[in-house]
Amino acid sequence: MKPRLTSNSSQDAEAGVRSYSLSHALFFGLIAAVIYYIAYEITAPNTPLPRARYGSIGGPEYIAWLIALLFPVLIFYKGADYSKVKFSFSWSFLSIISYIYVPMILLLRIPGLPRAVAILLSSLLAASFLYSADEFWRNFKASRAVGIKTPFSKRVRTALFRLDALLIVFITLGTTILVVFLLVPVVLILLNAFTPPVGEPFYANFKRVFTARKYVSLFRFATEKPWTFVTSETGYKTLVITGVNHGILLNSLINSVIVTTVATLLGVLVAFVLARYRFPGKGVIRLLAVVPLFVTPFVNSYAVRLLFGAQGPISWVTERLFGFDVEIRALAGVTIAQIMAFYPIVYLNAYAGFLGVDPTLEEQAENLGAKGFRLFRTVTLPLALPGIAAGSIIVFIFSLEDLGAPIVFQEQRLMSYKIYQTFTTEIGTTLPEAAALAFVMLALAVVGFLAIKSYVGLRSYAMVAKGGRWKSRERKLGPVGLILVYFLLLPLIIWTMMPQLTVIMMALNMTPANAFKPSLEGATLKYFLSLFKNPDVFIYVKNTVTYALTAVVFAVVISIMVAYSVSRGRIRVLSQTLDALGTIPLAIPGLVVALGYFYFFHRLFTGTALDPLSGPTTFQAWVVLITAYTIRKMPFVLRSVYAGLQQVHENLEEAAMNLGATRRRTVFGIVLPLIITYLVSGAVVGFIYVSTEVSTSITIGGLRPDQAPMTFYMMDVFQGGHLEGIQIAAAMGLLLILIQLAAILLIVVGLKQSYAFIGA
Amino acid sequence: MTRIRLENVTKVFGPVVAVDHVSLDIESGEFFTIIGPSGCGKSTTLRVIAGFEVPEEGHVYFDDVDVTFKKPYERNTAMVFQNYALWPHMTVFENVAYGLRLRKFSEDEIRRRVKEVLEMVGLEGLENRYPLQLSGGQQQRVALARALVVEPQVLLLDEPLSNLDAKMRVEMREELKNLQRRLNITTVYVTHDQIEALSLSDRIAVMNKGKILQVGKPDELYFRPATLFVADFLGRSNILDGEVIEVLEPHKVLVRVPDLGADIVASTYNMIRGRVKIVVRPEGIQTAGFDVIENVFDAEVENVMFLGDKLEVRLRVGGASMIAYMPNTMRLAKGDKVKIHIPPDRIVALQV
Repeated sequence: MKPRLTSNSSQDAEAGVRSYSLSHALFFGLIAAVIYYIAYEITAPNTPLPRARYGSIGGPEYIAWLIALLFPVLIFYKGADYSKVKFSFSWSFLSIISYIYVPMILLLRIPGLPRAVAILLSSLLAASFLYSADEFWRNFKASRAVGIKTPFSKRVRTALFRLDALLIVFITLGTTILVVFLLVPVVLILLNAFTPPVGEPFYANFKRVFTARKYVSLFRFATEKPWTFVTSETGYKTLVITGVNHGILLNSLINSVIVTTVATLLGVLVAFVLARYRFPGKGVIRLLAVVPLFVTPFVNSYAVRLLFGAQGPISWVTERLFGFDVEIRALAGVTIAQIMAFYPIVYLNAYAGFLGVDPTLEEQAENLGAKGFRLFRTVTLPLALPGIAAGSIIVFIFSLEDLGAPIVFQEQRLMSYKIYQTFTTEIGTTLPEAAALAFVMLALAVVGFLAIKSYVGLRSYAMVAKGGRWKSRERKLGPVGLILVYFLLLPLIIWTMMPQLTVIMMALNMTPANAFKPSLEGATLKYFLSLFKNPDVFIYVKNTVTYALTAVVFAVVISIMVAYSVSRGRIRVLSQTLDALGTIPLAIPGLVVALGYFYFFHRLFTGTALDPLSGPTTFQAWVVLITAYTIRKMPFVLRSVYAGLQQVHENLEEAAMNLGATRRRTVFGIVLPLIITYLVSGAVVGFIYVSTEVSTSITIGGLRPDQAPMTFYMMDVFQGGHLEGIQIAAAMGLLLILIQLAAILLIVVGLKQSYAFIGA
Repeated sequence: MTRIRLENVTKVFGPVVAVDHVSLDIESGEFFTIIGPSGCGKSTTLRVIAGFEVPEEGHVYFDDVDVTFKKPYERNTAMVFQNYALWPHMTVFENVAYGLRLRKFSEDEIRRRVKEVLEMVGLEGLENRYPLQLSGGQQQRVALARALVVEPQVLLLDEPLSNLDAKMRVEMREELKNLQRRLNITTVYVTHDQIEALSLSDRIAVMNKGKILQVGKPDELYFRPATLFVADFLGRSNILDGEVIEVLEPHKVLVRVPDLGADIVASTYNMIRGRVKIVVRPEGIQTAGFDVIENVFDAEVENVMFLGDKLEVRLRVGGASMIAYMPNTMRLAKGDKVKIHIPPDRIVALQV
């Protein structure tokens, strides 16, 4: 890559010379996209199931790609300024989206309008790539230009000086644990994914995942309708909403994209109203809005199924208004359940984001004449966007990996369910296709996560502390606003907390297990108490608590090692690697972890009691479970430890070492006592996440049911089996809610810290 | 009593050369100050001495012992940080006793020494307070006590007074000087405040962009700056362009200054020729008496500012605009014509 020789300023000076920018690049992309789309409409035969429309349409398309990719390069050499891909909040966001979107369209061979959009975005992709390469080259040259040549031996000696016994232990131990228990399982998944059926090329599994109709089916048959009216023998009309089916891979993508989009819009809206307006009852609404964050696996989705079922409140209304019931099933149910469960994640992040915007920045804009939506669009939103984006990507990953809703709604045509099936039906075959699927899921989550993380990192100006705390701007809500809040926002928030309420009611037998009919008649603590009295059930409670406690202890220890090495170890490469390794589990879908651990212990411990296939009486599931919990939920603990270490000025440690304290003494005598509250709150948060963990619990745990945790039991209820199971599962849900409530109180009241929900 | 020697020390952070081939000799018992603008590498130099940074090149010696690769806790230096770095979870007593505990003194001995040092810095009776309960000045004294109590070979002070208010700073300055005299510890002091540097130090090193520009006694640096940067950084200066016409004596040159429209006699401490800059301190400009003929100019008052202890007067001298300090009893107004005299020993000519 050659550096640009002319700078923009010199160019502007030359009269008549146009300076190109990103929009010009995108303009050529638009031309290309139009060319492609016209050609596509002309050439494609108009049949009901146009096979010919799959993938490339040949000649005209190549020309379109050429235009879209080549012209941005050409005008770049003419001196185009592409810096917007890095610095403009909307351009950079769009380019990150295109990094994921374009390859996906190509891999899935989706033709038509989506492909035209891909061509359009590819021009942005080219521009973005050129800018990064150019920047890298310039930085590389700049660093070469300074270059003090230090002999290698001296550099080694310097590096060694920066380490000492404790840091070496921390770094090597931390890295080893993370590499062995995080990277190796993932590598094993990849190895399995590249194990093709006999006689096929090495990429056969991936090819199937991207092309087989089971996974990707671009066109719907006329018989597959998103909704239908069903009339029963007794004459009841029911509107059954099922959602679409485009094959496992696309279903997952469509679901997650819809969930993320709706959850983001909803979350941002709620957050903005709650962050910026003052009205009576706001405190209560703020509290209610976080209720959906109480995680109650499976029973929660089951409650959603009831609420949107033929016996639910929605049907009650529609029947009186339109004369038919409504029932939401399959993919549509999954989508609804996930939106209701996950939107508060965005809400909390966005809320923090809006509060984090320096009010003077908005006042300055107002002072210059901006108001209303323009103020929001040009100042407030860009500044709060990093927080919102962080919340959204978490929702995307959670939605992708969620198993609770698919199992409850019996939606098997999703990636998560498909991988889960490996454990229930095809165990022993180590199914390479599932591995390929898991890898695609992993790639989607990790790429999205890293993209957003770099986007947020680049754009965290809203969070820059300017000393002193400000009070966020709040305005009084007018009468129209008040009506909207009380008649739209409040019902919405109450509706989203209904699943949790239903779970509690079911646990106390205040509503039957098969319909939403609240009544106080049968109210009893029987089911809740049976968690502790019935030995067949108590074992699950005991398992969950023991595993969670153990895993949290490990997670805290590893977090201390990782966090300390990253923030104090002064060898950049090591710190950055360790930091990435420590944070990435956040982006790894639970099922990928489960599958990875399955391969890991099956392959490396074959024949021992740690081999998951060694049989339901010999397999020691607890070892695998605790390991998986520790690694998977460590990022939450890690974040808390990081926050603690940020509070401890490095000078405090240097002062100790300066007086003669060794690193070990400094860490144990100065640092850890100073961050003890952070350690405790990290541990508490970790405990919550471990005790509500689903993916590994029901897969690995399912291979040794008597060593499985609560979530396995809850799942088992919905896969058939237990008679009074649903109430007991709901009681477990209630127990989990109580644990989470206690944890929040402990952290907020006891430790006087803010309780950080996911991503916030 | 330790001598410190830095030999060609270079410290690089990424693309930035923070300390650039710095060599220094700091005598034992000396109060040595490194002064420079922020980002000049003075704090990094101090951290190299303390052992928090290891230089890419060069060596650090304490009394001829190479300590370049010694860990901070093996060096027996004591540092006072700019933010004091008091451990908030320990009381004043525990903070001060920390170093003694590490050196395995008996509890009685620790109590005795802590009491002694707290008396010395004037903090007796505050042993059981926590740092956050103390004022800035008190915190600063605790930090000093914590450093002094271990009887370090070397005392390192990183802008210790910069977080105090103006009055407190003057008080602490004097106390610091007295303590250092009394204890006779080799002290390296880092600051960007020229008054602190000039008033406290035995010797000063002026640093800019990672390089040491000049080392010397305070008055030496002030009266005989070796570079324009030093002249400009320590105290105020009028700087004019000139050209050497003739070397009069070993330390005297005749310089043609176009802006003044005259040739003036200036002092110099190097071999110089050709184009030079001449540096005149504001207080070096005097209203002329009748007995001098050399370096006398007509000036017109452009602006007068009353500073309390003196007047700051902006003068137009030929084509040049210069600042001069005048006694506060003088009655001057804009437009007044004065005759000024600049003694040759108050004019320094520097090679450009």
